[in-house]
Amino acid sequence: MSYSDTFAYWRYRLVPDHMLGELLSKRWIDNAIPLLVLIFVVSLFGSLIPDFFGSANVTNLSRQWGEFGLIVLGLMIVMVAGGIDLSVGSTFALGNIVALTLLNVAELPMPVVVAATLAVGATVGLVNGVLVGFLRLRAFLTTLVTLIIVRAIVDMLLLKYSVRIAAAFPDSDAWYYLGEGFLLGIPFSAFAAGVVAIVAHLVLSRSRMGWHVLATGGSRRSAHNVGIPVRRVICSTYVISGMLAALAGVLFASRLGGAGADTGIGLEIAALTGAVLGGNSLGGGRGSAAKALIGSISVMIIVNSLLRLGVTSGANSLLLGILLLAAVAIDVRWLKNLNKVLSKVYVSPAFAALPKAPGTDPSSPYAINDKLGGVELIGLGEIDGPEDVILDADDNIYAGNRTGDIIRFFAPDYTRHEVYAHVGGRPLGMAFAKDGSLLVCIGGMGLYRVTQERDIEKLTDETNRSWVSIIDDSRLRLADDLDIAPDGRVFFSEATVRYEMHEWPVDGLESRGNGRIVCYDPSSRTTRTVLKNLKFPNGICMTHDGESFLFAETWACTVSRYWFAGAKKGTVETILPELPGYPDNINRASDGTFWLALVGIRTPSLDLALKMPGFRRRMARRIAPDEWLYPNINTGCVVRFTETGEVLDVMWDRAGDNHPMITSMREHKGHLYIGGILNNRIGKLKLDGADESWTGPESYWGKP
Amino acid sequence: MRMFKTGITLAALAVIGAGAAFAQGIDDPTREPFYSALEGKRVAFVPVAMGFDLTEGWAAGIRSQLEPLGVTFEIRDPSWNTDAGAQAITSLISEKPDAMVIHNPDVQSYARLLKRAEEAGIYVIQVNMNSAYSTDAYVGTDYVGLGEKMAHRLIDECSPDNGGSGKVAVVQGVLTAAASAYQMQGISNVFADHPEMQIVSNQAADWDGTKARNITSTVIQQHPDLCGVVGFWDVMDLGTGAAIQESGKDIFLITSGGGNKTACDGLENGTYSEVVSYDVPGQARDIATMIEHLLQHGQAPGSVKSTLFSPLTFMTKDNIGPGSCWTLEGQN
Amino acid sequence: MGYLGRPTQEKIVFALAAALCIGFALFLPGFLTANNLLNLVRSVSILGVLGVAMALVVIGRGIDLSLVATMAISVGLTMQLLATGLPLAEAVAIGILFSLLVGAVNGFLIAYVEIPAIFATLAMGTLIYGFGKYFLFQLDVLYLPDAHRYLLWLGQGYVLGVPVPIIVFAAVCLLAHLFLTFTRPGWYLRAVGDNLAAARIAGVPARPIIVTQYMISSLIGFVAGMVTAASVASMNTRIANSTYVYDVILVVVLGGIGLSGGRGSVRNVIVGTLLIGVLLNGMTIMDVQYTLQNVIKSVILLSAIVIDTFLNPRDEQTAQQGDI
Repeated sequence: MSYSDTFAYWRYRLVPDHMLGELLSKRWIDNAIPLLVLIFVVSLFGSLIPDFFGSANVTNLSRQWGEFGLIVLGLMIVMVAGGIDLSVGSTFALGNIVALTLLNVAELPMPVVVAATLAVGATVGLVNGVLVGFLRLRAFLTTLVTLIIVRAIVDMLLLKYSVRIAAAFPDSDAWYYLGEGFLLGIPFSAFAAGVVAIVAHLVLSRSRMGWHVLATGGSRRSAHNVGIPVRRVICSTYVISGMLAALAGVLFASRLGGAGADTGIGLEIAALTGAVLGGNSLGGGRGSAAKALIGSISVMIIVNSLLRLGVTSGANSLLLGILLLAAVAIDVRWLKNLNKVLSKVYVSPAFAALPKAPGTDPSSPYAINDKLGGVELIGLGEIDGPEDVILDADDNIYAGNRTGDIIRFFAPDYTRHEVYAHVGGRPLGMAFAKDGSLLVCIGGMGLYRVTQERDIEKLTDETNRSWVSIIDDSRLRLADDLDIAPDGRVFFSEATVRYEMHEWPVDGLESRGNGRIVCYDPSSRTTRTVLKNLKFPNGICMTHDGESFLFAETWACTVSRYWFAGAKKGTVETILPELPGYPDNINRASDGTFWLALVGIRTPSLDLALKMPGFRRRMARRIAPDEWLYPNINTGCVVRFTETGEVLDVMWDRAGDNHPMITSMREHKGHLYIGGILNNRIGKLKLDGADESWTGPESYWGKP
Repeated sequence: MRMFKTGITLAALAVIGAGAAFAQGIDDPTREPFYSALEGKRVAFVPVAMGFDLTEGWAAGIRSQLEPLGVTFEIRDPSWNTDAGAQAITSLISEKPDAMVIHNPDVQSYARLLKRAEEAGIYVIQVNMNSAYSTDAYVGTDYVGLGEKMAHRLIDECSPDNGGSGKVAVVQGVLTAAASAYQMQGISNVFADHPEMQIVSNQAADWDGTKARNITSTVIQQHPDLCGVVGFWDVMDLGTGAAIQESGKDIFLITSGGGNKTACDGLENGTYSEVVSYDVPGQARDIATMIEHLLQHGQAPGSVKSTLFSPLTFMTKDNIGPGSCWTLEGQN
Repeated sequence: MGYLGRPTQEKIVFALAAALCIGFALFLPGFLTANNLLNLVRSVSILGVLGVAMALVVIGRGIDLSLVATMAISVGLTMQLLATGLPLAEAVAIGILFSLLVGAVNGFLIAYVEIPAIFATLAMGTLIYGFGKYFLFQLDVLYLPDAHRYLLWLGQGYVLGVPVPIIVFAAVCLLAHLFLTFTRPGWYLRAVGDNLAAARIAGVPARPIIVTQYMISSLIGFVAGMVTAASVASMNTRIANSTYVYDVILVVVLGGIGLSGGRGSVRNVIVGTLLIGVLLNGMTIMDVQYTLQNVIKSVILLSAIVIDTFLNPRDEQTAQQGDI
């Protein structure tokens, strides 16, 4: 390697460029700007105010935040469902005055007071909910009017009871506990808000009810059309919001005990500010408990700290306005450009030097011929993209189809076919198990089994999550090919964890080891990753010793052998280190050797580009994906090789008429059946001198 | 403000003069304890909001009296938000200034906090509106008394016995605000004994001049023989006065306020007939004096409680002069 | 309803206002006098002017929560300048410039930075108020200096027996109507409000139009503020913090202008304003307690919306996404 190559090698090995894109693709990155704002606010005021982090100040702040946080959480739930609740400020005031009246005037015990006040809040919410949810009134206008009505009711209650409330000093420790007590060292109100936030998070993200709320906010019409009771959902969000506002009112009443006339005035604006600052969008669809927390804490700290700093009230409003505008402006721009940036930086090429490609001149073992020119065509035009083909003991052909089916062609002439099983995803590699069921890797879905009764069962769709990975690599994105060990364990390859199935060529542009080989153990029903950081692991084929398998790494252009048992357990040995093209599936041949499909042939330009990651990255950023330099997959061939890495035979389709690209081939009773993921046919080729009775299932499981 | 400055200048002259008289130098034994009791002390002021004549006047007055003595004076402005005010007091309690001047928005909201503040060793002086909990000192207006006095003035002007129609209107501030409620209480107390007086309209204008104007116009419209109007705040009653002037009728308008220059202007141009002033600079002086007193006597906060009701001045066009009203620095 | 056509919210509100008028006329002595009716309209004409300003923005699918703050601070600034002895023309010009500047910033934040209108104007309202208090004024209330008491004519004068505020209201309505009906920016404004993406594709300069609409609303707000200041000889900047802006929105939406934009005209504002005016006037005459007034007012408003919903039901299929 030249110096510059060495430099590039270490540069791209040591700097994890791909993490930036993965970071940006996370759902929670949505909260990044609000969180940064929060951190900024905390550090700004933390440095300006002495004792900001002192326990007294933290306690005060968190106690006050508890009340405010409850209201913002309620508003967030309404906003997520696509509504808005402007009446929270008045409902808060109503909760305050009702609680004080019940306690001081009616002299009820604390639990009754709390329950009754919550019921009052729920009633206000129900009125909003019925009007907005069931009668379909406009939320903004309706809650604006209820704001005025509830405020007027509060005023009337105040006029009637404020003197008696002012005169009373209730003697109830339980009551004061709400506003002054601690639970687990946390002020009670903050504890309550925290619990509500956790419940709201779990409900919104993990429960059917929460999904209904999110769906309604995302698109009310679609939610209605799929049968979600949108009216009831919307109504219930207002009830929750009303209850939380009233609860906040109770806590406020317990803390201050004052029936002030201005209680809760403008609170709806503050709550709305908190919700929006946290990143909850008006009009629904985007929102979470975390966003409500972040936003409400930021607003709380800003308002309280500006007050504490003793700046004049003008500067106070001025700074508040500037901070809010700046925070939201950055957030808006961030959201708008996030996907744009993501699409530019997600593709993150690595340094990948391939060995010199062997030639295809007549002296080379890969010399070009036209042996595939005379294949017999099966299912021409009737099948779309048979990635893998396999034959059962009765000579029927099974092949995957782009429409998410496994198609069966009937022996002996293969003119008739049926949908053997509709699996719903793109069937890729297939293998017969000992019991005759068909195991299949389905792109985007995982490892599935189709029993002889044609029942479709999921075997696994996830593996252990690796701790250092930013993206969640526990889900199987692109299970590709599999084979079954004699003990029944299934080893299958997952080509890449960074791209979805339809983007698989982009992974070649990246040429980082994004793939892995995963083992599914049917006896314990567990799934474990056995080999990681492979460059698009593809074909997998058991060797005859029962202790190892061969696997192809497409973008590394190698075939290797891995021992999963025996003396060499755990070791990997490359047996075909330099291939002229990109290897795909590997299958057994009747004479103890192996067939290997080359899906495409390497090109000097891409080989060069692979040593220039910077070039590929610029390409990915600056030009349209259609114009990118991709691996060539327009010319392929079939190679027969031995366990020791000796190439015995190569078959080309020189004209490119029948099989321009080949992803799989199966030997069966003296014939070779050929499939390709972009082909509309299955090829059948007579093999001279092959064992006419040899079948794949027999080679694995013996004669039935 | 002008009055202040004059006062301070006079005081300064007196001190200098006194100094000159004792040029030979014997030490005044009261000086050292006085200055050392105040030097380096912290006083915090939590008004309902800054930006209107009362609070600005108090703040300016306290500041000018205490700051030269080495007292740090700071303002926490909750800007009409009771909750923010409670937050401000809560954090002040943990910051422990030596004294707090609290302007209550109502009688209840701060009561428990003020108790806690005294327990934490902070002197608490309440201004203009007492809370349910009495602290070291209260300085301010007796609102019930104010209402009673204004009611008597209305009776003087409008009672049928004195040749009026007996019909009066009340323009309140915010119904639920204690200042408003107490004044109304005072008016009701007096009118209870005067059945000949009839309140034809009793509406709240939310301390807003435009609302006051609209309400008053309608009332005048409906009661052409309206004799008097009582307003609860001179600034709001600019609107009330405008409605009266517009109607061209001779209606007696009495209102109350801190005695800012606008009150005198209003009296001069006929917007108001009479303004009851509770003299904000005087109140500021009282507050500052109270702070000096408390910091000197050194007893535990909450152990001695005193009340200073502000004297009221009844100002009319005829009895005001150039010095009757005060201005803030920078006010035009 | 036959020949009246489809019963829109506007018609319902108008019918309600008319019914209340008839009721008050029958049962309230002194309601149906020329003086009282003029008084009635005058008392809501400032609200109506602000309603027109808000309506223009709402038709353009925006909302201007900073309207009242801008009005208070820009007019306050004018008052302040007058008090320092600046001539009227200059003081007013600076006030107008200030309000236009605020409108332009609003529009910029909404059109170019793409902050949601409700939030941008909310924050701007706070910011403007703070700016005014910190840099411009010391007291919340700014008084009209005695030297300029002739300005009171704007709020308290009469022309041919009609109070000037009513004439201002009428003039603003007429101008806004002409703007919406006969000028190109007016058409564009409606197009942008109806469907921003479509308008943009059709070649409408959407962003400049959005900036313009906020500048116009600020300007009208300034006019309303001058009338307010003239009628009480002072400007209380604290209304910037009050819920007054809700009343303005109520007038607009009550008249039948949807917050989803594109629909409505000046007529709707007039109808909404009249209903509020009749209600307030009648209740003041009856000396209904203030808090009770609010309840009655809100219940009537609510019933207007509910009636509209029953007559023009909206369902899941026709509702517009994001129309809150």
